[in-house]
Amino acid sequence: MVRRVYTRSNKKSKQHEESPSKPVKLDSNLNTNIQQLKKLLDAPNDLVVREIKFEEANITSAIVYISGLIDRQLVQDSILVNLQNVSQNLQYPIENVGLFHKIYQSFISITSIELGNTLDDVTNGILSGKTVLFLDNTETVLLMDTKGGESRGIEAPTTETVVRGPKTAFVENLGTNLSLLRRSLQSPDLRFKTHQIGRRSKRSLVVAYVDGVINPAIVGEVNRRIETIDIDDAPEAGFIEQWIEDSFLSPFPQMNNTERMDRAASALLQGKVVILLDGTPFVLIAPVTLGDILKSPEDYYERWLIGSLLRFLRYLAAFMALFLPGLYISLVTIHPGMLPTDLALSIAASREGVPFPPVVEAFLMVITMELLQEAGIRLPTPIGQTIGIVGGLVIGEAAVSAGIVSPIMVIVIGLTAIAAFANPTFSIGITFRILRIGFMLAAAIFGLYGIVLVYIMINIHVVNLKSFGIPYSTPFTPTMVGDWKDLVIRAPMTMLTERPKFLAPKDAKSVDKGANGG
Amino acid sequence: MRSFKYGDEKISGRELMIALPSIVISVDILSLPKEISNDMNGSDGWIVLLVAGGFSLLIIWMMARLAASFPGQSFLSYASTILSKPVAIVLTLIFGVLFIGVAAYYIRVLGQTSQQYLFEQTPVEVVSLSFLLVIVYAVCGSRAALFRLNMLFFPIINIVLLFVLVINIKWVDVTNLLPVFQTDLKSYVKGLQTSVMAYMGFSIVLFYIAFVDKPKKAPKLAMLGMLIPIVLFILVYLFCLMIFGHAATSNLLFPTIDLAKRIEVPGGILERVEAFFFIVWTMGVFNGTTLAFDAAILALNSVLKRMKKVKLVIILSPIIYYIALLPRNISQINMFQDFIHMFLVSFAFSITIILVFAAKIRGVGRNDKANK
Repeated sequence: MVRRVYTRSNKKSKQHEESPSKPVKLDSNLNTNIQQLKKLLDAPNDLVVREIKFEEANITSAIVYISGLIDRQLVQDSILVNLQNVSQNLQYPIENVGLFHKIYQSFISITSIELGNTLDDVTNGILSGKTVLFLDNTETVLLMDTKGGESRGIEAPTTETVVRGPKTAFVENLGTNLSLLRRSLQSPDLRFKTHQIGRRSKRSLVVAYVDGVINPAIVGEVNRRIETIDIDDAPEAGFIEQWIEDSFLSPFPQMNNTERMDRAASALLQGKVVILLDGTPFVLIAPVTLGDILKSPEDYYERWLIGSLLRFLRYLAAFMALFLPGLYISLVTIHPGMLPTDLALSIAASREGVPFPPVVEAFLMVITMELLQEAGIRLPTPIGQTIGIVGGLVIGEAAVSAGIVSPIMVIVIGLTAIAAFANPTFSIGITFRILRIGFMLAAAIFGLYGIVLVYIMINIHVVNLKSFGIPYSTPFTPTMVGDWKDLVIRAPMTMLTERPKFLAPKDAKSVDKGANGG
Repeated sequence: MRSFKYGDEKISGRELMIALPSIVISVDILSLPKEISNDMNGSDGWIVLLVAGGFSLLIIWMMARLAASFPGQSFLSYASTILSKPVAIVLTLIFGVLFIGVAAYYIRVLGQTSQQYLFEQTPVEVVSLSFLLVIVYAVCGSRAALFRLNMLFFPIINIVLLFVLVINIKWVDVTNLLPVFQTDLKSYVKGLQTSVMAYMGFSIVLFYIAFVDKPKKAPKLAMLGMLIPIVLFILVYLFCLMIFGHAATSNLLFPTIDLAKRIEVPGGILERVEAFFFIVWTMGVFNGTTLAFDAAILALNSVLKRMKKVKLVIILSPIIYYIALLPRNISQINMFQDFIHMFLVSFAFSITIILVFAAKIRGVGRNDKANK
């Protein structure tokens, strides 16, 4: 699968060689530039061109921005007022170059300024919320970061609710997200590498990692794959995930997504990268393994015994979500002799009058369950709950009393659905839902033998799968016993002195035993 | 495991250490107590198992030393260095064919066992085919992944086996072990033969050392791994005798699975636990079969260098399926088993000894070590 990304990167570099569009240099004439810009953007209403005349030197300058994208107060206070004051009252150089430099160095009080000299710089800058300053007879412009506009405030996570721990969730604004990370991880080694994604719509993407902890090979691989991305626009991190994942055929998520700030920060410290995309509150964590996906930050917030039990419960839930309907089908249809007589009799009694074989019955219920889940997501919250009650209670009850399904089947499917939602990440729940169907089919054909075959096949798939070169099945296998302290159980804090070995971190020790052991 | 490299496809020494017992016990442990007690009187089988085990340890040490003295070289390449290229090609091909036979035998035994313990009506052909398809899926993946599967399944099957033994302690009758030392010399020879053949799977070590990341440590680890089946074989054999008695053990088809029959799950949640045991053991058989199949591919691929692995798998699978279905009944399966075991054991052992001595005489291999 790595080969796939390689070939893609080759293709892309070829395309770039072929692409004829050379960057258009800016003209020296102010009016030509502005006309050109207006032509390019089709002179929209929200494009503001504000001219300022430097009378003494007889030079015109103009600031250009799109009104909805900038912070009005900032432009007014730090650019407009300053320039107007200067043009009226102060001494300034009367030739072009001198004036430009003076403006650049002294007159503008914006924190982040860049120079630009192509039309592309100007358009991209304006569209990303910058204010551009043109000066007559100058081929260079100033790009001032005045990004503003409406954005959502920081709230508690909505998709991953927190019982205990920081309740900060990421927001759509990349700058805010980066500052959240910085604030939570106050380390001088925290690094942000910025990429620009998208052909039609430029979007910033930041790869965050902690230098000195992470294995440099992982950062290199992530950056290499991100550079191969060639799409029009990436409105959600899912686009990035699907573009850079190792195997698109796998039902398993090869990256974790989260909107919880604490989860991202702890991943950084374990030696992983966090990929943040502008415009979405969901960040990606890579590489991940199967063990990581079944972990949740709360495991560490609670005391170790509770954390371990919760972990264990989660593994149990994962197995139930996968196996339960299949086991039921195989025991009832193919191996009824394996059930104790009393239980077999009571199942048979409850199935009396049910016209379908258990497989059909199970599929009916599973499909109903999936429909309910999907409908519950689509509907507004208050109605969603109603649907849950109507679907779960009324349909279940009615189906049983109508004799379409047996009550035990309702119990089995209900348990399975609950177990699938007991996982800390939504995407692995979907994986389990897909794989469960495989188990049910195999159980209907081969009984327990079919279940074990499918189980073996899933294992084969998982040991062959990789996430950014890290085997997905670590640390179960390749066996790293040291990492088992934090896998199915979560050992006491004082014992978790090392970072996960499978990530081959540069700095393996996270806690010095001497310092913490007392 | 500090040395774990980014995306490394090498096999670790520990993985080799687990793979060897994995292929050895996968199928043979199921019927071994029967075969040994057929040959031996009383409980004398443990002696031959121990002696044969010791002999196997010696051979595996020779094999591993031999292969490890040519680090990173395939069997074909070091055998050509020691003997000559044409001879090496013939030897490799014979090994390939033998491993195909082993894989076919394992698949057939699984099909046969499933009929006995799980479903009576489902034809062996269907069960074997579905199993073979899973094997093919595994073999098409990376080689390191196969060894990782071993690491996953081996503990599971062993924990279940030990669990079955521990539960059975309730029914142990030590007097069943009597009489002791009543076997005549001829039976000892026969028993020794049977038990040496039970250990035959480890010949794969000749082929896999080339992939081990630290070949120097491989001989020690291989021997360590080989201790596991010796202990397990003796334990299972003695338990079968103590629980079923000598006469019953020698008449049961798969006494090891029948051990699980005695188990009653407290609370009566499940009956017929031996079916569950068999289901779990499917993973064990799977491990052995994938290793045998992969070793066959490895051997053939080293001769037919230009053929792609997937292509070879597609060509070999129907052949394996055909061979697996050749025996018509249990006695023919046993004949097939004896033939394959006998051939592989005598071939692998004699070749190893020849190679070791030829290498000594011609002074190759040792030089490589001196250079290191």
